[in-house]
Amino acid sequence: MRTTSAPHYLCVLLAIACGDAAAASVIATVADSGGAPVFEAVVYLLPTGANTAVAPRPGVMDQANKEFLPLVVPVQLGAAVSFPNKDNIRHHVYSFSPAKVFQLKLYSGTPSKPVIFDKPGVVVLGCNIHDWMVGYIYVFDTPYFVKTGKTGTARLDGLPAGEYELRIWHPHSKSEFRPRAIKLTESMTENAEFQLELSPPQSAPAKE
Amino acid sequence: MLLRSLQTRIVVFFVLLLCVVQGVAFVLISAANERIAKTQIAEDLTVGQRVFLRLLEQNSQQLAQAASVLAADFAFRDAIATRDRATIASALANHGRRIHANVVMLADLDKKMIADTLNAISADASFPFPELIETAQRDGKASSIVLIDGRPYQLVVVPALAPLPIAWVATGLVVDDAVARDLQELSALQVSFLSRTGRGTWVVHASTLPPVSRSELGGSLGSMRGTATLPLGGEDFETLLLLLNELGDSEIAAVLQRPLREGLAPFVELRNTLLWLALASIVLSIIGSVLIARSIAGPINRLAGVARKIRDGDYSQKAEGGLQGEIGDLAESFNHMLERIFERETKILRLAYEDTLTGLPNRAMFSDRLDQAIKIAQRNGGPVSVLIMDLDRFKLINEGLGHPVGDMVLQEVARRLRKLLRDSDTVARFGGDEFAVLLPTSGTERVGIVAERIQRALEEPILMQGQPIDLGISIGIAGFPENGDDTIVLMRRADIAMYVAKRNNTGYTYYDPSFEQGRPSQLSLLGELRRAVENDQLSLHYQPKLNLRSGASESVEALVRWAHPERGIVSPIEFIPFAEQTGYIKAVTRWVIERALRQCGEWHSRGLDVKVSVNISARDLMNPELPGIVTGLIAKYKVPVALLSMEITESGIMEDPVRAEKTLQQLHQLGIRLSIDDFGTGYSSLAYIRKLPVQEIKIDRSFVRSMLEVNDDALIVRSTIELGHNMGLTVVAEGVEDHASLMLLTKLGCDEAQGFFIAKPLPPADYERWLTRRKEMGDKVTESGFLSDLRR
Repeated sequence: MRTTSAPHYLCVLLAIACGDAAAASVIATVADSGGAPVFEAVVYLLPTGANTAVAPRPGVMDQANKEFLPLVVPVQLGAAVSFPNKDNIRHHVYSFSPAKVFQLKLYSGTPSKPVIFDKPGVVVLGCNIHDWMVGYIYVFDTPYFVKTGKTGTARLDGLPAGEYELRIWHPHSKSEFRPRAIKLTESMTENAEFQLELSPPQSAPAKE
Repeated sequence: MLLRSLQTRIVVFFVLLLCVVQGVAFVLISAANERIAKTQIAEDLTVGQRVFLRLLEQNSQQLAQAASVLAADFAFRDAIATRDRATIASALANHGRRIHANVVMLADLDKKMIADTLNAISADASFPFPELIETAQRDGKASSIVLIDGRPYQLVVVPALAPLPIAWVATGLVVDDAVARDLQELSALQVSFLSRTGRGTWVVHASTLPPVSRSELGGSLGSMRGTATLPLGGEDFETLLLLLNELGDSEIAAVLQRPLREGLAPFVELRNTLLWLALASIVLSIIGSVLIARSIAGPINRLAGVARKIRDGDYSQKAEGGLQGEIGDLAESFNHMLERIFERETKILRLAYEDTLTGLPNRAMFSDRLDQAIKIAQRNGGPVSVLIMDLDRFKLINEGLGHPVGDMVLQEVARRLRKLLRDSDTVARFGGDEFAVLLPTSGTERVGIVAERIQRALEEPILMQGQPIDLGISIGIAGFPENGDDTIVLMRRADIAMYVAKRNNTGYTYYDPSFEQGRPSQLSLLGELRRAVENDQLSLHYQPKLNLRSGASESVEALVRWAHPERGIVSPIEFIPFAEQTGYIKAVTRWVIERALRQCGEWHSRGLDVKVSVNISARDLMNPELPGIVTGLIAKYKVPVALLSMEITESGIMEDPVRAEKTLQQLHQLGIRLSIDDFGTGYSSLAYIRKLPVQEIKIDRSFVRSMLEVNDDALIVRSTIELGHNMGLTVVAEGVEDHASLMLLTKLGCDEAQGFFIAKPLPPADYERWLTRRKEMGDKVTESGFLSDLRR
């Protein structure tokens, strides 16, 4: 199911890149310790200088087949995320993460009001009905972020020249990854390779 | 002593047997039981341990489940999310109560304490059991028995999930007596929880033991590990120590116990049953064996009672009848035996008190009656008289006419005696020809009359097969009280009087004390005879024998004389038979032979060859040393053997013909002349005599004396002489007392004669004189003159 929504994001990203032909690009390749491509790792850049003000895009976290879909939804600070329920049963979505504490009590369909994420950080989503459902919303204070696809690669285009910290995050990553400082010039393409040590989340009860 | 009784022995044997069997069985079963019980208890403990651990695990599972539910509670997670410590603490307490937890603690993911329902926590305090969180991180949950504030808790750590772990929730149940009791109910074991620090003494926190045992438990465990038997509160417990947790230097352990008594209980019950069974069977066996023993011993005891009565002469009681089996047979046989004994005793009594030949009472009965008569007389003051009598010449009748005739004579005498006496008088026969009469109330006057009547009655000849037999009787009389007051004394004195009467031929004689003077007992006679031999009181006289063919006297018979210092000359008839009885005759004979040979040797040395004959008794013939002794003496006195001859009585040879013949042969081989003395009185035949190495026979004086009056005796003398000559024997006649006899013997061809008519036995010197005178006279007078001269 997750794979079906991946081209949709790419289209968005490509549209941004096409708007500024002189912009630089970053291509990241992420693999695990075994060399297998890592899916849904978020690669993001934090500008060392002033942050460019860009209006945040809304995010969507589906619930389908008693799972959050996709696993990770990266959004920009202030973005509104809607939680459409595609199952024929109700869900009770909650988060006790410091970045955003909220709950959407037993609902079906899409709640009328999306949830605004106004603090940066990881928001771990759970369902009070289905303990095994885990989803992550990563709230970035930067507009430059992208998720890897099935091939383990991600591409950021239309990046203004300047100095950045290149960072990566994956919910299953065992350790915090050290940020890399990079300097982008116009029209350059920076290739970055990451190797992550992954471990599945602990203590999660099995799906029914 | 008690064991002698059959009854006791039967009872003791069976009871002991049963006791031994029961005892051995009891010991074996008890030992087996104890072994089984110990095994059983050990197994119980092992099973109990598994159950206990399983229960502990279940408890922790339940607690973990409850804790998980608690941790997953949305409101609880909501409270945690507030990060408000007070809120969190109250939520912990509230939710802890829901699951009945005694303690709930919350720690963050960095193992820092957030809240604790038991104690206020200081800032930055760490969770006290970090290893539990580590286990929970790995396994989703962790459980252990831990000490909090010195009390044991079963503590479970689970994560609070939202849905990823946001904190660690620890919930605990205090392990107290109630928990121990629950565990006891399910495991059937005594359960105790203890802890110690630094290998110190165990501290009991919770226990199902009674207070006393509980207080002892900690101390008695010591450093025990695993299984052991512990004494607690006076009882033994099979004990298992399980180490539950080891944190640093502190240990928490559970102790599982089972009282040995509990495990042994069924076996104790079994043992008691066995014990009762054994006791019951012993009691039953005692009763049973007593009954059986009584059924055996009772009749036997009663039989023994009857037997005692029989012993005492009471035959009136019989053994009880109607008994079954062996005892019945015994009783029946017993009764038969009783009857037979009674019959036999009656018969024996009769035999014992009666003379079978004459039917008269015997000596024993006579003695009894005399005894009684004396007793009565002692009371009434009356006299008692005893007559003891002996037939004269009965031996001649017996030997001459045979025993059957003798017996008939005795019966006739008995009949006559009986006839002339009162019924109250007792006539008895003492054996042989000895009779006795008891006159129980008669004194001297009547006794004399009775004695005379008896004499008259026996003077009448007894006709036997048409022949009259003359009898005489000698009677001795003794009376109570004048001659004694004792049966034995009276009878002996009557006896003595009887001998006096016989000796003096007086018919009857009253006892007189003077009779007993000079009548030595036989014992002293033997001593005196011995002294006589040793002191040379004996001497030999020599009676010449006359050769009827030549008229010369060439031989003598040596006859022993005893010159007793007090009693004068004692006749050989008085002491020789006695010497033969006692065996002392051997010494006498030796003395006689030696003295005769000495005399003969002396005569021989003086040129006077006299043939000397000595008398040898039957006893001497039995003495195998005799030939050797004779040989030695002949050599000693240098006497030609031809001068010695020996006379043996016919009856002496007949006592033991085989040995006699052997000795005679040896003597004959020495060259000694042998002669049969008293020929005709014994029962030997000439045919037998012919086989013996004898050269001479001497016709008995009884035939010679009466041959002039009794025709038969003359015939015997004549035929004996003829037969003797026919067999080549010399014939000598003894007891020649008158001239007519000597003439007749000479006419009949008798070889030699001996007797008072020729010469009486003479001392050696007298013999020599007699011989000299006879030679002087023989030269000048006729035979008749010579013989008439000899008679002087």
